Amino acid sequence: MNNKSDILVGVDLTKTYGELAVVKGVSLAVRAGEFVSLVGKSGCGKTTLLSILSGLEHPTHGQAFLTGKEITGASEDELALFRRENVGFIFQSFNLIPTLSAWENVALPLFPIQMSEAERRRRATELLDQMELAHRLEHLPAALSGGEKQRVAIARALINNPKIVFADEPTGNLDTATGDAIMAILNQLHRRKGMTILMVTHEPELAKTADRVLHMQDGEMLS
Amino acid sequence: MNLRYVFKELTHQKRRTIISILGLSIGIALFVILNALSLAYHEAARAPLKEVGADITVQRPGNVPQELVGAVFPCSAVTIGEEEIEDIKAIPGIRGMGKAVLLWIFDPNRAWIVLGIEQNNPVGPSILKNFITEGRYLETGKPEVLVEAAYARQFGIRLGDHVNVAGRSYPVVGLIDASHASKIAVANLYLPLAEAQAIAAASKNLQSVSPFAGEDVNLLFIRADQDRITTVAAAIKGILGEKATIATPESFLKLLGSLFALSDKFTLAASIIAMIIAILVAFKTMAGNVAERAREIGVMKAVGWTHRNVTMQLLAESVIQGFAAGVLGLLIAQAAAFALGFMTVNIPIPWEMSPTPHFLPGGGDPLFKTLRLPVHIPWSLAAFALLLSVIIGGLTGALLGRHISKIKPSEVLRHE
Repeated sequence: MNNKSDILVGVDLTKTYGELAVVKGVSLAVRAGEFVSLVGKSGCGKTTLLSILSGLEHPTHGQAFLTGKEITGASEDELALFRRENVGFIFQSFNLIPTLSAWENVALPLFPIQMSEAERRRRATELLDQMELAHRLEHLPAALSGGEKQRVAIARALINNPKIVFADEPTGNLDTATGDAIMAILNQLHRRKGMTILMVTHEPELAKTADRVLHMQDGEMLS
Repeated sequence: MNLRYVFKELTHQKRRTIISILGLSIGIALFVILNALSLAYHEAARAPLKEVGADITVQRPGNVPQELVGAVFPCSAVTIGEEEIEDIKAIPGIRGMGKAVLLWIFDPNRAWIVLGIEQNNPVGPSILKNFITEGRYLETGKPEVLVEAAYARQFGIRLGDHVNVAGRSYPVVGLIDASHASKIAVANLYLPLAEAQAIAAASKNLQSVSPFAGEDVNLLFIRADQDRITTVAAAIKGILGEKATIATPESFLKLLGSLFALSDKFTLAASIIAMIIAILVAFKTMAGNVAERAREIGVMKAVGWTHRNVTMQLLAESVIQGFAAGVLGLLIAQAAAFALGFMTVNIPIPWEMSPTPHFLPGGGDPLFKTLRLPVHIPWSLAAFALLLSVIIGGLTGALLGRHISKIKPSEVLRHE
């Protein structure tokens, strides 16, 4: 059923909340190194599907495999550990910790790991440097612009060398120019580093920059 | 747990952290000061007895002769027989005993309150040697007297004079000012115990109502193991009868009438209330803080923090707040203890313990031992309070952490 090069596979995934079915029997596969966009109108179930595929949420029915491992039956803590080692997240509203500086936010996934403070800082600094934020290391999120915040969030998503990055409306809270800059970074990550990316967006124009576009409507996959 | 993150969180949310620490610290301070006050009242209540080197005084009430002539016993202190003394000595828990004979002596021209003392027994009124203002203290085996300075002034008695007491003549070898000493068994004249016993034994008037042999006494001072004072007192009553007057720190505490002195249960109840208020304040502020951070905790879990990682992080934050609250609480309590240390407390001395004939000047006046309230915070109490504060912080953090770490990241991270 699954191709060996598929890094992410969903089989007949369904999610219901009481009587309401949000995701209805969705199956999909993402190959390693692929950049896939998931497009659909607000409320069509794409964020819920992304949550299931990334191990943030359990499906009501169906199976999800990430890097060959079935994640649908795993416990919360097993999933957390799995995400720590394999997954990076980029959220629409950045979700930076307001009390931590830029580099500390980037290093957040490393905090529970036995590692020296210097090593955490070195790795975070390196990524922020790649995001052209070397001058913002000690700044709190409140002192950063929207684009800077999202670049910090991207650096955080990459700190654990993930096998796949899930991006949920990464430009949703940004103006067009800044959004374009963020998309450029994601494309660069994909092309230069071969990063697998699954991006959720409701903007068809942004989705076109991906290798493949998947369409969702009313909880079902159209293509 | 990441300490950098802990301190950043606590310092960033300054107002909330301060309220949380302050709330808990006030509860801790109240807890400490209430207990320190209770200890202070206990210590104050112990002072009158401590000053005579005893934990318990023993008297037996009885009758006074119809005619007050010569040597008589006050109605609050009649004969305690030699055999009874031996029985009392054998009570487990007694570590030392002092004896005395208190007499009212009505001579034709003068009335004396006379106390016969064991000069060198540290348990009992030998403490008087510290209050000599003129002359010297009594020497063993010599029939001589000390006169209370105010009494000596009133009646023109001087050092080197001879005073006639119940038909016996004694040289005055010293004057003492006992106004600052314990107010128990205050007398005008102090002489060796053997002399007082001889006077009492020779008094027909006294013997008619309270037979008295040569080695008998009418006042006992007892030092006992601190944790056995109550049982020793009860055993003494068993020997001397229920009417015996047994003074203990506990009985003085009751005389104080203070709420703190009345009952350890009050202190316990007040402490518990203070702690409950502190816990509620701490819990409410910490709960508010944690609830506000649901999204943040969702992020932590999304990027790989386990349930335990999150709980430990919140636990560390609350334990540090609890520790800080404990230290601040102790500082507040120390300041309060310093201020309360200026308070004086008047410990009433029952008339029975220092009987003065009512018809003599000042005879009916109430007696008090006045001292500064000895408020201090023992190390053990401070350490317990600090530990308690940390435990409260820890439990609060663990409870909230356990609760909040169960949230699912997908529920709190959905974009607006």
